[in-house]
Amino acid sequence: MQDIQAAFLAAFNLIVSLDADLFEIVGLSLTVTLSAVAISCLLGFPLGALLAISRFPGRGMIVVFISSLMGLPPVVVGLTVYLFLSSAGPLGSWQMLYTPTAMIIAQTLLVTPIVAALTRQIIEDLNGEYSELLRSMSARRRDILSTLLWDARYSLITASLAGMGRALAEVGAVMIVGGNINHVTRVMTTAIALETSKGELALALGLGIILVLLSISINAALMSLRTNMERFAYA
Amino acid sequence: MLKLEQLTKVYPTGDKALTDVTLEIPSGQVVALIGPSGAGKSTLIRCINRLVSPSSGKAILDDVELTALGSAGLRRERRRMGMIFQEYALVERLTVMENVLSGRLGYVGFWRSYFRKFPQKDVDEAFRLLDRVGLLAMADKRADELSGGQRQRVGIARALIQDPALLLVDEPTASLDPKTSRQIMRLICELCKERDLAAIINIHDVALAQMFVERVIGLRFGVVQFDGPPEGLTPDVLTTIYGEEDWKETIQKVDEEDLQDVVS
Repeated sequence: MQDIQAAFLAAFNLIVSLDADLFEIVGLSLTVTLSAVAISCLLGFPLGALLAISRFPGRGMIVVFISSLMGLPPVVVGLTVYLFLSSAGPLGSWQMLYTPTAMIIAQTLLVTPIVAALTRQIIEDLNGEYSELLRSMSARRRDILSTLLWDARYSLITASLAGMGRALAEVGAVMIVGGNINHVTRVMTTAIALETSKGELALALGLGIILVLLSISINAALMSLRTNMERFAYA
Repeated sequence: MLKLEQLTKVYPTGDKALTDVTLEIPSGQVVALIGPSGAGKSTLIRCINRLVSPSSGKAILDDVELTALGSAGLRRERRRMGMIFQEYALVERLTVMENVLSGRLGYVGFWRSYFRKFPQKDVDEAFRLLDRVGLLAMADKRADELSGGQRQRVGIARALIQDPALLLVDEPTASLDPKTSRQIMRLICELCKERDLAAIINIHDVALAQMFVERVIGLRFGVVQFDGPPEGLTPDVLTTIYGEEDWKETIQKVDEEDLQDVVS
């Protein structure tokens, strides 16, 4: 009980004192995660949509494959990226291991399958409604894709939120490829892991509380963006 | 105008949906396609604009053999065939006006339609059509705020803005109440007359078909069983199309309703 009280006190103190280290960590967390989610959306929306409206041999296998990638263990992704980026690996000369870029790459690999798989489902359902109509109107393939993506845009925000939740919360991948280096690659989750192992439970919990609050506010912001966009679009 | 020659569709499962359908529809003629569920009505109209590919036979629209077209040619010809679906085929989140303008999709690029940069003459035409179908006041409403009958009117306006030579109409009244159904059928038939359009209307409701069209084609198991004026639909004919049933009730009721309708 005392620990929990201390945790809230620690969190409160960190926030009101505008602790520079804390804001650095939060800032890096946000930069890494938001970049990864943005790249994942750029890749995952068109990929999922294309998969939704295409029919070719082996499509079913690809769909199953992408869906199963949604459950990839972050440490395995981290390890794979590590192998590629380590100095002995094929991309070792890029010198990217233990940089925020490496963390963005790892999180992108984690999030893209989630965005792509959810997009495929959303677009496929919508295409069921629109397919004959669009074809009867002589719409081209890219017209069909863009119509469906545009019409599903509010549902796609939810898909990107699912990806964001995953990226913001994971610790394994960023720990392995980032290394939790103070002032360089330390993010909220790795900091929590570190403080816990040092026995600084109150500080760890305090960071945890801030992480949860952050996650809630990002979700709330995007949700209200969705509501406002809808209101604006149909005013 | 529209000619079908021995049009046949066999699905990969082996089901024969259409067998040697041969018929000719002059411009300006409205034809009702009746028959039980699974008779091939939907398949027939989809074989014409090739949403479904026929297995053999020909469909010819004004000397263009639709069944022989490549994808570019098909795109061009599909513009000349407006399709009207059951009421729900509207883009729910777009406004009435945007839905109507989307009928020009085959003509203008999609990015232009995204940014609502339709040529002014398309916009003017859309307003004229909305006025004609009685929805001018609803132009800025969202499609999902409309009633079933209103949605179908939007679908009609959208098909017409394609400037088609032929209308393919799939169960236009399937989910409408009887009064609205009649209004929609009447509107479609009037518009075809005004614009000298040929139309094929799939319809379940025999009575409704008899009331409005000049020619009825009856399908059963993908084979044309009847082709003639609505008066020719005797109980015997209906039995060959739909199977054994007491038809007197149905037909008599139609005549009375029809009379009332004419009077009112």
